[in-house]
Amino acid sequence: MKRKYEIGLIINPEATEEEVRKIIDTIAGIIEKAKGSIENIDEWGRRKLAFPIQKHKEGIYVFINTDVVGAAFLSIERRLKLSEKVMRFVILRLDDRLKKANKLTKKWRRLERISRKSQEIKEESMTNEKPKAREAKNEK
Amino acid sequence: MRSNQNNSTTSGSSNAPKYQKKFYFSRRKYCVFCKDKIKFIDYKNYKILENFVLETGKILPARVTGVCSYHQKQLSKAIKRARHMAFLKFVEPKRG
Repeated sequence: MKRKYEIGLIINPEATEEEVRKIIDTIAGIIEKAKGSIENIDEWGRRKLAFPIQKHKEGIYVFINTDVVGAAFLSIERRLKLSEKVMRFVILRLDDRLKKANKLTKKWRRLERISRKSQEIKEESMTNEKPKAREAKNEK
Repeated sequence: MRSNQNNSTTSGSSNAPKYQKKFYFSRRKYCVFCKDKIKFIDYKNYKILENFVLETGKILPARVTGVCSYHQKQLSKAIKRARHMAFLKFVEPKRG
């Protein structure tokens, strides 16, 4: 069953552009073998890290969105762990987002209905409240 | 009740009315993400995540920031992922 995934990589800053492309191509090759598709490749380029990793203060960030079978990640993970140029990586499943988003939209619709009703009630009560406030002032 | 009314009227701007003012003018906290209708908090938006982290790197509790429990769960996960990918610091001890 195909699912949407996101892969995030931090590559060693000493790597050349060719080496970065090689890493991306190897991932793409594995995905193509598993009959998946690559939707998007985000290359952020060099960025400062919040803390040094393997004594490097910079890193090359790459993010890849894919649509593959989950079993393909067995070989992808092994490759990424073994390669020396990749310092860190993250693999996320994005299906959960849709489920959560659907839940939230239902919740917000409910809240909108409630807020509309409360506004109507407020408008009615505002017209009634004004004379009461005047009475309070007169008492003082 | 009578004594309270007397205090408020006689002492003018003393303790009793101040309490009332605080009670009335304190804005109610609300969830920032619910207001903007953000459905999923991404770990790549580290600039948003920085607002919910102390200088030492600790995650702020929801009772301070007013984030709803639903988004707080996502927030804490996103912050932890952002730490792994070196967008944010890990928790450091306070200096001085």
